Amino acid sequence: MNPRHLLAMPLKAVLAAGLTCLAGAVFAQSADPDEMARRVDELASELATVKKQLSELEQQKANAMPASSAAEEPTTVFTSYGEINYNRPTHEPENAQADLRRFVFGFQHRFDAQTKLVTEIEFEHAVTSAEDPGEAEIEQAMIEHSLNPTWAVRAGLFLMPVGLLNENHEPTAYYGVERNFVETAIIPTTWREGGVQVVGTFENGVTFQTGVTTGFDLAKWDATSPEGALSPLGSIHQELALARAYDLSIFGALNWRGIPGLLVGGSLFTGGATQGQAVVSASVTLWDLHARWTPGRWDFAALYSSGSISNTAALNMPLVGNPTLIPESFDGGYVQAAYKLWMHGSQVLSPFVRLEQFNTGRRYADLGPGLTPAARPTEQVATVGMNYQITPGVVVKADVQHFREDQDADRVDLGLGWSF
Amino acid sequence: MRIVFVATAAVLAPVAAFAVDYLSAEQAFKLMFPDADHFEPREFPLNAAQMQELEAQGVRARSVHWTVSVAQRAGAPLGYVVVDNVIGKSELITYAVGIGLDGAIKQVEVLSYRESHGQEIRLPAWRRQFVGKTAASSLHSGDDIANISGATLSCSHVTEGVKRIVAVVALARRSGGLP
Amino acid sequence: MSAQAELGKQIFRDVSLSGSGNQSCASCHDPNNGHAAPNSLAVQLGGPSLNLQGTRSSPSIRYLASNTAFHFDTEGTPTGGFFWDGRAASLQDQAGRPFLNPVEMANASVADVIAKLSHASYAAQFQQVFGADIFSRPDDAFARLTLALQQFQLEDADFHPFSSKYDAFLRGAAKLSDQELRGLALFNNPNKGNCAACHPSAKGVDGSHPLFTDFTYDTLGVPRNPEIGANADPAHFDLGLCARQGGDLVARTDLCGAFKVPSLRNVAMRHALFHNGRFKSLKDALTFYVQRDTNPEKWYPLNTDGSVNKFDDLPAAYRANVNTSEVPYNRHPGDAPALSDAEIDDVIAFLSTLNDGYMP
Repeated sequence: MNPRHLLAMPLKAVLAAGLTCLAGAVFAQSADPDEMARRVDELASELATVKKQLSELEQQKANAMPASSAAEEPTTVFTSYGEINYNRPTHEPENAQADLRRFVFGFQHRFDAQTKLVTEIEFEHAVTSAEDPGEAEIEQAMIEHSLNPTWAVRAGLFLMPVGLLNENHEPTAYYGVERNFVETAIIPTTWREGGVQVVGTFENGVTFQTGVTTGFDLAKWDATSPEGALSPLGSIHQELALARAYDLSIFGALNWRGIPGLLVGGSLFTGGATQGQAVVSASVTLWDLHARWTPGRWDFAALYSSGSISNTAALNMPLVGNPTLIPESFDGGYVQAAYKLWMHGSQVLSPFVRLEQFNTGRRYADLGPGLTPAARPTEQVATVGMNYQITPGVVVKADVQHFREDQDADRVDLGLGWSF
Repeated sequence: MRIVFVATAAVLAPVAAFAVDYLSAEQAFKLMFPDADHFEPREFPLNAAQMQELEAQGVRARSVHWTVSVAQRAGAPLGYVVVDNVIGKSELITYAVGIGLDGAIKQVEVLSYRESHGQEIRLPAWRRQFVGKTAASSLHSGDDIANISGATLSCSHVTEGVKRIVAVVALARRSGGLP
Repeated sequence: MSAQAELGKQIFRDVSLSGSGNQSCASCHDPNNGHAAPNSLAVQLGGPSLNLQGTRSSPSIRYLASNTAFHFDTEGTPTGGFFWDGRAASLQDQAGRPFLNPVEMANASVADVIAKLSHASYAAQFQQVFGADIFSRPDDAFARLTLALQQFQLEDADFHPFSSKYDAFLRGAAKLSDQELRGLALFNNPNKGNCAACHPSAKGVDGSHPLFTDFTYDTLGVPRNPEIGANADPAHFDLGLCARQGGDLVARTDLCGAFKVPSLRNVAMRHALFHNGRFKSLKDALTFYVQRDTNPEKWYPLNTDGSVNKFDDLPAAYRANVNTSEVPYNRHPGDAPALSDAEIDDVIAFLSTLNDGYMP
């Protein structure tokens, strides 16, 4: 936006008009010497005022242009992130696997100063076709519109403001090759829903988000498959793909970043998940609390999340005997510490440790003796490793993971990731 | 008879009346140097040797032309303000750095911020971290300057930009280009 | 129903359309017995004098509307097709074949069938729908006859009533008894009956009620049935998929002995089970499932040297095709069977809830 145009035309016109008025005013009066003198003084002082204002305007004109605007205002910006991962189970090395886990590109397009479109497209596992394991999906497609410096509205397919990872899930944003289990098994990162939300960012460092969105579909629960045991919500999410929208969900998220380097927040999501298709109505509720503190070179994080599904007894009755029934509750939490051990130029080496605990079947509703599934064992995973940032936006990661319950899953991981 | 400059009043309004522009440059200048009666813009183009000097300090010069506004009161300098843009993740962030005569940062203001995340860099608490730093200070985001969780790129780019501005102003003063 | 389906309804029970003059579709696909065989014969009798044995048991033709033509799915699993070996590509295709089968309705030819059709009580109706001159074009008339039968099966709710106690239970309108619920659990449990692996029992994602078949095939090694006359010749084997009419799967010897997975809806009404009608009760059939490998001597004849002639209804070369890896077949002599006697009774109680026509 070039302010020169704004100032040039009206300014000249105004000055011309003003001077004409001045001239007119002078000649309109009768010729009395004292009166004349007084008027001349008046004119002189007003002229001085005009000069001062003109000088201020010119200064403002100069200052309104940023000092070194080497960057033009971007309207369409491409973004991308990707992960290539290698996993080698320690006790079953024959199951070692290398995978182009994610290839994501997206773009942001700004329509005007208040409105922009944010999109993200993801390809998983390199090759997508009927015979190949890959999947192609749209992860984000939303319009964001600022109402004023405090409030903005988002509508479309957007990421849910839950946990630490969901809205910031790029490989450069978390420690370790794979995303942590709590934020994949309990919080189904990357979790997105379609709907509307308002975002308020306040002067005290609080960000408040709330909205109405689509939710989950319990008809998708497959009791014969292990999917529901790996991630209950991940197995019934709709991702706005011909999503059933009879039941809508509401959510709220509150995050405080008032002190630099500290984040404390939480969220709550709840909504019907039977979509008018089942014999009973059931709803899914998920809440989380999280904190992140980065004093100096340290990076500490902690998170706890708990989910519950109502009326699971009625939903599970026709599924008795199957390996994976719908749990009544599932939860998990972790603590993590990382340290910037070595920095040189744009390289950063950050070793880290993470301890997590989660249970995708913490409790099952009673179905009667012999039919009620036992609670699943609580899994505990310890991860030790390091992130090595080659340059901001490119990271090489390595870690070792030990599982308390599923020890066959113990593994060594290597990863390469980028994000821009 | 008094002349009323109605049209000029409209023209004097902030250049960008958009939602995410929080301050105009003029407003930022006044905040940093409330005693100043005049801000004198000085062009300061970098020559090759000066750019190399900056690189040697670990600062990427990025552009050749720099405009430093000298805050003055009755002709005497009070300090300097530079307005600059950096890209956060995908959007421009416009910010201003106010530097005192001692070469130390007086104040940092964010003029416009459009990213979906990270508005917290506007909070006084985050900007206060820069106060007192000089060209000789270590200015690393995520280390000396605490990051905003979820806005690492905005934080690091603005930090980099502030570091650059401090270095450029110091260079300008050493070379006699600034009073 | 459409005019075509109405004609199909009449054709379905018209006994005059047979060589004997006494056999219609309904004779072997009795609407009062789940549209399956009305008796306990292993194979039904047909032919011009209704004294010739068929080759395989008469399956239920309910719940076939969503079945497709035979194909191999993305994982190479044989799927779809009508008849025990999937040789007919559609309901229409299947409907026409018994008319011309010499051991079934035993008409001499298509022209023969149409000649009889033209004298039926609904012949005028047939002409009205398909054209006044239709009987002068026997091949066209036969195509329309079979089409009418297909439309009847697709449109008449009697072929897919979903009116069993289990359907009511899925709708929340009925409760299963403790025993029935136990039976369902055993049916679903992959470590017990594992029946749901081929006979799915859960509602579909779209809310549709389960059909208790995945329309695939399996080789179970069901014992040879001496009740079938053709089995008197020790060189005769019914090899199922690989030997089916048309010879398109002749090279697939891995599919020798494979037969269609039928729906279990209304299975409790049947008195002859499996493709060769070898077992006459659910109790025997289920006991065979879980004791086939723990006690093979109960099911198969002994060789002269005292060893068990296991999978005697398959030539030695193809006995390796039999499913021995999935539960409940993955046992060995001396192991406990996957289901105890009482558990089998529980499963039978559950299977009885799959009979259509439940009245609370």
